[in-house]
Amino acid sequence: MSTSVKPGRARSGTAGRGRRGGRPDRKAWAFLGPFLALYLFAMVVPVLYAVYQSMLKVERSGPMGLGEPSVGFAGFENYSLALQQETFVDGFGRVLLFGIVQVPVMLLLALVLALLLDQVSHRWAGLLRATYFLPYGIPGVVATILWGFLYVPGVSPITSVLGDLGFQPDFLGYDSVLWSIANIVVWQFAGYNMLIIIAQLKSVPQELYEAARIDGAGPWQTALRIKIPLVRPALVLTTVFSIIGTMQLFAEPLVLKKVAPAVTTDYTPNLSAYFDAFANANLYLAAAKSVILAVVAMVLSFGFLSLVTRRQRSER
Amino acid sequence: MPTRRKILAWGAAAAAAPALAGCGEEVGAARTTTAARGRPGQKVTLTFWTWVPLQKAVALWNEQNPDVRVDVQTVPANTSGGYQKMHSSLTAGDPPDLAQVEYYALPEFMLVNGLTDLSGYGADELKGAYVDWQWQQGVFAGKTYAIPQASGPMGLFYRQDLFDKWDIEVPATWDEYRAAAVKIKKRGSLITAFPPANAQWFAAFPWQRGAHWVTTEGDTWVVDLAGPESLEVADFWDGMLADGLVAPVQDAQSAFFKGLQTGGLATWPGAQWYDALIRGNAPRTEGRWRVAELPQWERGGHASSNWGGSATAILQGSRHPVEALEFAHWLNTDPGAIDLLIAAGYGWPAAKIELADSALGKPDPFFGGQRYNEVFQLADRNVDTSWRFAPTTTQSYAHIQDAFGRVLAGHGSLADALKDAEGMFVDDLKAKGLKARSAR
Repeated sequence: MSTSVKPGRARSGTAGRGRRGGRPDRKAWAFLGPFLALYLFAMVVPVLYAVYQSMLKVERSGPMGLGEPSVGFAGFENYSLALQQETFVDGFGRVLLFGIVQVPVMLLLALVLALLLDQVSHRWAGLLRATYFLPYGIPGVVATILWGFLYVPGVSPITSVLGDLGFQPDFLGYDSVLWSIANIVVWQFAGYNMLIIIAQLKSVPQELYEAARIDGAGPWQTALRIKIPLVRPALVLTTVFSIIGTMQLFAEPLVLKKVAPAVTTDYTPNLSAYFDAFANANLYLAAAKSVILAVVAMVLSFGFLSLVTRRQRSER
Repeated sequence: MPTRRKILAWGAAAAAAPALAGCGEEVGAARTTTAARGRPGQKVTLTFWTWVPLQKAVALWNEQNPDVRVDVQTVPANTSGGYQKMHSSLTAGDPPDLAQVEYYALPEFMLVNGLTDLSGYGADELKGAYVDWQWQQGVFAGKTYAIPQASGPMGLFYRQDLFDKWDIEVPATWDEYRAAAVKIKKRGSLITAFPPANAQWFAAFPWQRGAHWVTTEGDTWVVDLAGPESLEVADFWDGMLADGLVAPVQDAQSAFFKGLQTGGLATWPGAQWYDALIRGNAPRTEGRWRVAELPQWERGGHASSNWGGSATAILQGSRHPVEALEFAHWLNTDPGAIDLLIAAGYGWPAAKIELADSALGKPDPFFGGQRYNEVFQLADRNVDTSWRFAPTTTQSYAHIQDAFGRVLAGHGSLADALKDAEGMFVDDLKAKGLKARSAR
């Protein structure tokens, strides 16, 4: 690459030099352009469109309201309607509770797996890493169907074995189904997060470990005082991903709903918006709910980021 | 090389296109039905989305009408994904020509302009061939929007052999039903199941009692979920649940069918179309089943109810509405088609037929030689046909199911659940831009 660029530069001579001063390189825009256009088209525009739609409502008239409908401006009516729906607001409480428990458990597991893998001899590391990562390769819907079989009494080998031992587990009950979903999510994503953490671990210069060993640190101390502080950026990243993922919880409860009446139509905010849009054919209310969901997810992830970076700054 | 300004201009143009399209926001279906009758000799293919196993009847049509081919595509049943798919296809402007839509969901599709006005294609002349109240399910503001297919008059399926063995009378009233339930429990069985997530099944009993969950008053929808009749029904089932006289399992699921197979469930108050489900899922109980009238709330009455029923709708956006209407009418009235549909267990025909002339009138060995459909014929005549469905039924019933599910998990009573759901029902209607209020 560099060899082909150099002669070019030599030919253009002073022009290249002149561009470097002050204004950004025009060529940079050519590279950024496609990305920006795509970003605008696939990200900014849909968001703005959703915001726009959330401000609309259908007005109906005539006998039983079945006359000619028209679309009118609703202002924040859809938002207040959504926030007045107790079951929708409850959904947020549910995913928050879910996140507070599930995210730390999953990340701790991912961290422990990553640290263990780092210790394992090279020959096994690849195989084990692939094994841990495998659940992530299975689509969420399939994973949920699979776990669903393991949860349903009468079909599940787990419940029958536990039943023989005198336990009567109810994995799909009102108070337990949330944690059954959490289990599926942990199973699916622990390996994925582990991979991000391990990537960071691998980038740690070996000299640091050597220095630690010379200073007399054992494996425990190395892990606690060197590895964990150094993978902090990876942990922050995976936490933000997990917060966003938790807020968007959708496929698992939707699929499990078929076998678990405890999973209601408004079980998570995302599910609630989905049912409004596609089962109840009220796109405008669904848009409002989606915008609320996006704002909450943004506040939580930025809130978390500013919290950790502030601590970082004060540490310095 | 394009300049920065040009690139930005392109980006802005690409961004503006959907935003401008948004200004022309319209309600419901993205495409309206266009009637262009095929030229003679031109072949037409109709797409039909359904979850009812009516392939054989359609095959008969395709055999008889080589120019109008019907392509059946199986979709998930109703709210398990079928309606979601139909709504999406309407919004996207790419709907099938025909679709299976249940009576309760017709107002919902009507509200989003999802159904083709069939009166414009001469559908009103076909009216005489159908049972009037079923025909009316597809009529809105004097225009016809769907061709009725079948309904679900209710009866009591029961195990004659068990009732004989235990020396228990087949209950004629709900009080007797409860008394029988107590005796049956002592014998180690249960009288029936209470499905937590089936608001349609539950609604059949207030319907039988004379309740009206929704009525209209001018342009306002009036919701009455927790009226005295409905609460009486709720109290009845609350009592049955509290005393452990019914199994809290979902119907048409493995635990339910196991109960029917083993005699763990001795009766099932169900719709006529449940005959096929029992026959198919408990084949070894052949000859032991009978059908009686639904137990009565008042002694000596003959009030029945309806659970389910569906229509063949022509969705907004069909390119061949004329042919689609022809097919829909044929499917639901042709004697050959009806017999094939009956064999597939699709329900009680919406077409006016002579029971004796059809497969429904024959003595059935599965029901011990009983002409059990005579019971359903009587029931069909005794359905209160003034019951109406709101255009939010799917959603509102989901609220009831969610609440009932909590009740079965030990939180509150069915009566309280109905009271809570009433407010949500009203909110659902308001969220659709309709005027609505609670009855009390």
